[in-house]
Amino acid sequence: MTSTMLRPAKRLHGTSPAGRGSAGRRPRRITRGGVTLTALVAPSILLLLLLNAYPLINAAVQALHNGTLIGEGPYVGLDNFAKALADPAFWKAAQFTLVFTLTGVFGSWVIGLALALLMRTKIPGSGIFKVLLLLPWVVPVVVSATSWNWLVATSSSPVPILAKALGFGDVLFLANPALAALTVCVFKVWISFPFMMLMTSAALSSVEPAVYEAARIDGATKKQMFTAITLPLIARSTYISWILMTIFCVNDFPTIYLLTGGGPVDATTSLVVLAYRVVFQNFKTGYGVAIAFLMTFVLIVVSVVLYRQIRKSVIH
Amino acid sequence: MDVFSGNSRNVSRRGFLGFAAAAASLPLLASCGSGASGASGSGGGSTLKVWDMPWGPTEYTNAAKSLVNGYSGQNGAKATYQSIQWANYYQTFASAVASKTGPAISSGGGFQAFQFADQGAIAYADNLVASLKKSGSYDDFLPGTFDSLKTDKGYVAVPWQLDMRVLSYRKSLLDKAGVEAPTNWDSFVTVGKALKKIGVIGYGTATGAGALIGEQSILAMMINNGGGLFGEDGKPDCVTDRNIETLQFFQQLSREGIIDPAAVSYTSANLNNDWKSKKIGMGFSVPSLKSSLNETDDDIQIGSPLEGPHGDKGTLYYVNNLMMYTNTPSQQASEAFLAWYLDQMKDYWQKGLLQALPVRKSIVNMPEFQKDANNLKAVKEWQPVAKTFAARSTKIVSALNAVDGGQAFTSFAQQVLQGQTDPKTALATLQKGIESVM
Repeated sequence: MTSTMLRPAKRLHGTSPAGRGSAGRRPRRITRGGVTLTALVAPSILLLLLLNAYPLINAAVQALHNGTLIGEGPYVGLDNFAKALADPAFWKAAQFTLVFTLTGVFGSWVIGLALALLMRTKIPGSGIFKVLLLLPWVVPVVVSATSWNWLVATSSSPVPILAKALGFGDVLFLANPALAALTVCVFKVWISFPFMMLMTSAALSSVEPAVYEAARIDGATKKQMFTAITLPLIARSTYISWILMTIFCVNDFPTIYLLTGGGPVDATTSLVVLAYRVVFQNFKTGYGVAIAFLMTFVLIVVSVVLYRQIRKSVIH
Repeated sequence: MDVFSGNSRNVSRRGFLGFAAAAASLPLLASCGSGASGASGSGGGSTLKVWDMPWGPTEYTNAAKSLVNGYSGQNGAKATYQSIQWANYYQTFASAVASKTGPAISSGGGFQAFQFADQGAIAYADNLVASLKKSGSYDDFLPGTFDSLKTDKGYVAVPWQLDMRVLSYRKSLLDKAGVEAPTNWDSFVTVGKALKKIGVIGYGTATGAGALIGEQSILAMMINNGGGLFGEDGKPDCVTDRNIETLQFFQQLSREGIIDPAAVSYTSANLNNDWKSKKIGMGFSVPSLKSSLNETDDDIQIGSPLEGPHGDKGTLYYVNNLMMYTNTPSQQASEAFLAWYLDQMKDYWQKGLLQALPVRKSIVNMPEFQKDANNLKAVKEWQPVAKTFAARSTKIVSALNAVDGGQAFTSFAQQVLQGQTDPKTALATLQKGIESVM
């Protein structure tokens, strides 16, 4: 049998061997195979461009105009972006988006991590618990929001009645601006922790038990093992889940809109809710899309920062 | 072995690519050439596309479809019915109009015709109105309903039903509280206090996610007091003495505990639940509240229009309308269909398929309509004093669509119900918000 490894390399693409005088590189040949592959892949690429690039470019054009849902309107350049950055409503929405995202990401991660660690212990019925704990994430948000509305919205809802019985008086969970913001954030943590639990569970299962064994022999405490072994070894997965949850939180429209509509008095209006209202209630498409682009820009920056952390978190 | 050798392989690959290109081009060819709404071939009658929303239960949609599809006009003109869901209906229409694939005729939201008229998409109904006047049908319409649809360029649509805000109350609760239905603002407070004493919400309302009744009822009371959001010239004019007085009235209701503070975040579902479970004594609502709560007795009744502190009476109403579009196979056919449809729509009220109020006196006088005392009262007592969203102006403009249900108005209503903001400041903020969207 002839081994291909013993044959001299074929110079299929006209490259000169090192050290030889160059008679010029041969141009890369367009092979029939290359044409075939390109032609076969072209429809998929075209579809991707149509579904992604075209709407994005169209949106960018809209952001540069003062249009409505029906017409593009006059060209205004970057006025919509300048208007957003000078608008107190934009900054109020940005502030709430920050609070909502921070509590959503870290609140769900802490609870998800705690439950993932708990599920690793041998407790009776852990299999059933694992399934039940997934429910908040699996149930459609419309159903969850309706349930939470039933639980907290009116004076005769179960939670306000319980709060009154416990001596807290008439608690207006969705009518008081501060409480409405808190309720929305708690709701977000509730529907997000199963995702974090799953991500963390998968990361924990990849940690070698031998590492813990060695640490135990060396006399490490449980706290030391958690901080010095567990957290660093699952860091990569943690950063990835933070990136994903940040994107989910910033872009989350139904969670907020179905529960409070962005109120009361704009207390729970995030940037995406603001963009929706500006486009579909005020009919200012250009301004609304500009808000969405600003939001996207910040998301990209945050994602890049967190991706760098991922690279730094590689343990050798 | 060189895999690229062999003529037979080259031919089959080219053949395959050619086949793939032909297959890909078929959908493109099929999508080309649609043209205007329902243009038939040469020599045949026009087919008019008619879009409508579900204004009533499924039976209404079925009846409307049957009525429209059964139309047979001059020169073989036909009509096809399509039901458009309320969710994102405006976006549906906007896309269709922009791409010239929309209907020839449609029903729509109160300001829709004005918005599309601004875009040049509406066929003005002046010819149709003239023909209705000539035939005498025009006099059958309730006064003021056509005028609300007139612009400087002509009639943007013709009226077909009314949506109004009236004061509803639950008689059993008022009887239990030992009071009669209020007739003016002072007695309103008295009744509210009495209802609160028996553990009932005096004035039920909602300004939460998707609930417009709260802000519309505040405007209804402003109109009741001779105020409104706009001046007679149609420009935003919110900071007026009458409007300030109205907001002070709402502050009084909040202070007295007549308004449930949780109402700020109530959805329509929350509000309806409270009405159903007899937790609310009074509130502004649509005239058909009783039907929407599926009640058949006469416990939910409509009061008479309240007299404001200066003797004014008034409320908010919307003249829902039928509009014609320029994207039609034949404007003549559109007008002929619409004239015919206006005469046929009595069927909806005859069969009890529509809870909205009719605009035609002949329908109001039908025994089937007369047997609903609430609806009759709404038409007889409230419609004569009702004003549109544009009050104090009489001219509706398309930008009102961005105000009604818009962010500024919703936030304003929530501030009013919270009762913590100074009325002048709240109105000034509202005016600024309205000016930014108009």
